[in-house]
Amino acid sequence: MNKTTAILTGLGLLLSGTTAMAKDLHVLNWKGYGADEPFATKAFEEMTGDTVVNDFFNSEQEMLTKLRTNPGLYDVVMINAAFMQQALDEKLVQPIDTAKIANYGDLNEAQAQSKMLNVDGKTYGVPWTWGLTTVAINDKAFDTPPTSIKEMWKDDHKGRVTIRDDAVEAIQLGALATGQSINDVQDIEAVKQSLTELLPNIRTFWSSENDWNQMVASNQIDLGTYWSGSAGRAKTKFNLPVSLVVPEEGAVGWLDSFAIPQGSTNVEGAEKFINYMLSPEFYTEWDKSVGAPVSASQRAVAALPEDSFNRRVMGAPEVAERVQFQEPVTDAQREEYLKVWQGLKVGAN
Amino acid sequence: MIRAPAFLSGLGRFYIGLVLVFLYLPLIIMAAMSFNASPFYQLPFEGTTEWYAALAQNDGLIAATLNSLKIAVMTTILATVLGTAASLALFRYEFRGKRVLQALLFPPIAIPWLISGTAMLIFFFGTGIGRGLHAILLGHVALALPYVIIVVSARLQTFSKDLEDAAASLGASSWQTTRKVTLPCIAPGIVAGGLFAFAVSFDQFVVSYFLATPGQTTLPVEIYAAIRKGFTPEINAVSTIIIVFSMSLMLVVSRFFRFGGDQ
Amino acid sequence: MATTGTRRQNGLAKALPLLTPAYAWLTLAIFLPLSAMVYFSLLTSMSPSEQSSSLTLANYAAFFSDPLYATLLWRSLQLGLLVTLICVVVGFPAAYVLAKIFKGRAREAIFLLVILPFWSNSLVRVFSWSMVLREGGILDTALNAVLPFEVTFDLMYSFPAVVIGLVHSYLPYMVLTCYLSLQAIDDALIEAARSLGASRFTTLRRVVAPLALPGVLAGSALIFIPVVGSFMEPRILGGRGGTLYGTVIEDQFTAVYNWPLGAALSFILLAVVLAILLVSAPVLRKAA
Repeated sequence: MNKTTAILTGLGLLLSGTTAMAKDLHVLNWKGYGADEPFATKAFEEMTGDTVVNDFFNSEQEMLTKLRTNPGLYDVVMINAAFMQQALDEKLVQPIDTAKIANYGDLNEAQAQSKMLNVDGKTYGVPWTWGLTTVAINDKAFDTPPTSIKEMWKDDHKGRVTIRDDAVEAIQLGALATGQSINDVQDIEAVKQSLTELLPNIRTFWSSENDWNQMVASNQIDLGTYWSGSAGRAKTKFNLPVSLVVPEEGAVGWLDSFAIPQGSTNVEGAEKFINYMLSPEFYTEWDKSVGAPVSASQRAVAALPEDSFNRRVMGAPEVAERVQFQEPVTDAQREEYLKVWQGLKVGAN
Repeated sequence: MIRAPAFLSGLGRFYIGLVLVFLYLPLIIMAAMSFNASPFYQLPFEGTTEWYAALAQNDGLIAATLNSLKIAVMTTILATVLGTAASLALFRYEFRGKRVLQALLFPPIAIPWLISGTAMLIFFFGTGIGRGLHAILLGHVALALPYVIIVVSARLQTFSKDLEDAAASLGASSWQTTRKVTLPCIAPGIVAGGLFAFAVSFDQFVVSYFLATPGQTTLPVEIYAAIRKGFTPEINAVSTIIIVFSMSLMLVVSRFFRFGGDQ
Repeated sequence: MATTGTRRQNGLAKALPLLTPAYAWLTLAIFLPLSAMVYFSLLTSMSPSEQSSSLTLANYAAFFSDPLYATLLWRSLQLGLLVTLICVVVGFPAAYVLAKIFKGRAREAIFLLVILPFWSNSLVRVFSWSMVLREGGILDTALNAVLPFEVTFDLMYSFPAVVIGLVHSYLPYMVLTCYLSLQAIDDALIEAARSLGASRFTTLRRVVAPLALPGVLAGSALIFIPVVGSFMEPRILGGRGGTLYGTVIEDQFTAVYNWPLGAALSFILLAVVLAILLVSAPVLRKAA
């Protein structure tokens, strides 16, 4: 047995010999979400000499599990602020020395000081972008854009609606549709009822931007929930007929931040990377050539053209009034949401 | 030969044709789409080779492909050697518990891969063996071993023990007998077992999926991640290449070993 | 008696050096992991801090207290049966034609064509269906170019799509196993039945079918077992209808990080599959 193990270890070393290299910077993020843009990787690598290695997740849950099962692998992780608490509880991230990040000073004060990112006087997350989870439409299906979230429930769109397969997001959509606060769902039965009525309209659940874009490209859907930055990308980068709607019932707001995982072997590189991600140079290029959500850096947003979507629409007061920002979800809530959502999905067939 | 009426045999041929269309149509369409310009597979068709060019630049996919090949080759070697040794032991010697040992070959085949894969994940993670390419190799060999033992044992059934006894009585040592008499006789079985091992490993997705770590993955795992997280026709391009590769490999092999012909 | 005993022990002593490497490997990579999974399924939580020292049956209780899991398991079993059945219905005649109508080189070539896809990557084959089945996809366009009337052919993201993808993946197994057992039937036997006045159908039913049964059953087992545990195919092709027992287990390991629950669910699946195999064992033995 010992011999076998020894041989195995030998083989393993042989196999993995090619992978380890000094000064790699492992970044964990959504796919196609800024940090992996080829122009950014190239610019950053030229600037620092580090090699960026991207890895991706498909849901916040998967992101957390990747951190849990790969300790010491990642150097930078993109965390939705509402999930920071959970990462902290499990000691997955480490405090950040904001003095080392020159562009930290450009951040929107309220976002930088967010209680979700700062605990016991230590900063664990650097705000990067914010945006909305709201409704996006296929322009081909509408003469005038809808104003109500209820449009998704209409019979005209039977089998032509998509939402993301995510328990928390689904429950929060139900909360908006039933006039409840997304962070304090009192009447879960009403949410259930509302989602049950929505399900027959659902074409499929999307799990990546690519799913959404493909469905619009092949004209399979009329509308669905989408992220504000993603809708921008669909329009800018892929020339798809996609528009964002902020319905009168409101929209879910999120704040994405960068954190440094516990055990990172390249903290210095991580700080440089986060700094670069906040820079106006990166942000303007990202928004112009690809499409981006709103940067948390005020200097970066100010560098955009005045008529850009992220200044004109996202900066408008009536939008700000409608947004309900996500707050952390407790474990008990998450479990309940997951159960409700799984039950709904199974019952729907 | 049974003489089936012409219309029945015609019908039969037509039916086989339909089955072949069903089996090959999607593969052909997928290959065609790897030459289509639209990243969302939109028609009309516009020819391009840009996805193949993009593939040549995609270090992640190339590394994963090399990993897949490396692991498949190592699995083939390890599983064939260990499996042939075990088959010889099971063939030559009588001992208590032999039937149990033979029965133990079935769980790796019969248990859904989802279960073997998650069980390996738990065990390797918990014991510090860890995940990564070495863990994937560990799993693949275990999955391939029973196939090798079964195929080689089947070949051994057609081999007479008398030959070994004759060699021994002429003064050949046990190792000489094995090398000069037994192994050449069962060589086709060993090669077939090795091929099974290669195919099991190269095609394996589920077990690799649970044991892969970022950077240490195989091609199927990488393709699955790409399908779920947003992909481009680069995936069609790499899929087309590996389908052509594995099918040609089998075609070459079938030139040497006749499958399914009249025996 | 005594001599047999010593020879037996002697046999074991000689066999051990040859057997040990293979079985040690299987132990390390299959049997120990399965035992670890049983242990894991009795744990309360993943994180060591919340770990209570005692073992619990709570994860198994979760299966029985929430009808969700049983519903999903039932649905996965139904899917397994349906796919297996379709493979028998489609694959057996194909194997029959191959074994009894084609001969010589043609048979060899076509047999090779049928099993070739089996050697290509299963994931890629499933993925290829997503090109075919989508609306505005190639099948759609091709049909509309030929047919005088407009059809929309849109099965993508549905239960039928999952079934089609799985049948495509596993059909070669059925053709292979049926072919092997059909090929072994002596044609003279069939001719004898015919010359004794049995109709084509009676011959098929009374002579060919019973002799080919082992092949059909072996193929069925090879298909049913992996299909019940499938998760990749429903994820890619199933969309809204793609939530199955296998996908819930996958979620426990890759997303939710509840490995104990995942282990318990896996183990229940294993038990159910084994139970089904045991129940059908007498039939299998009779057939063999």
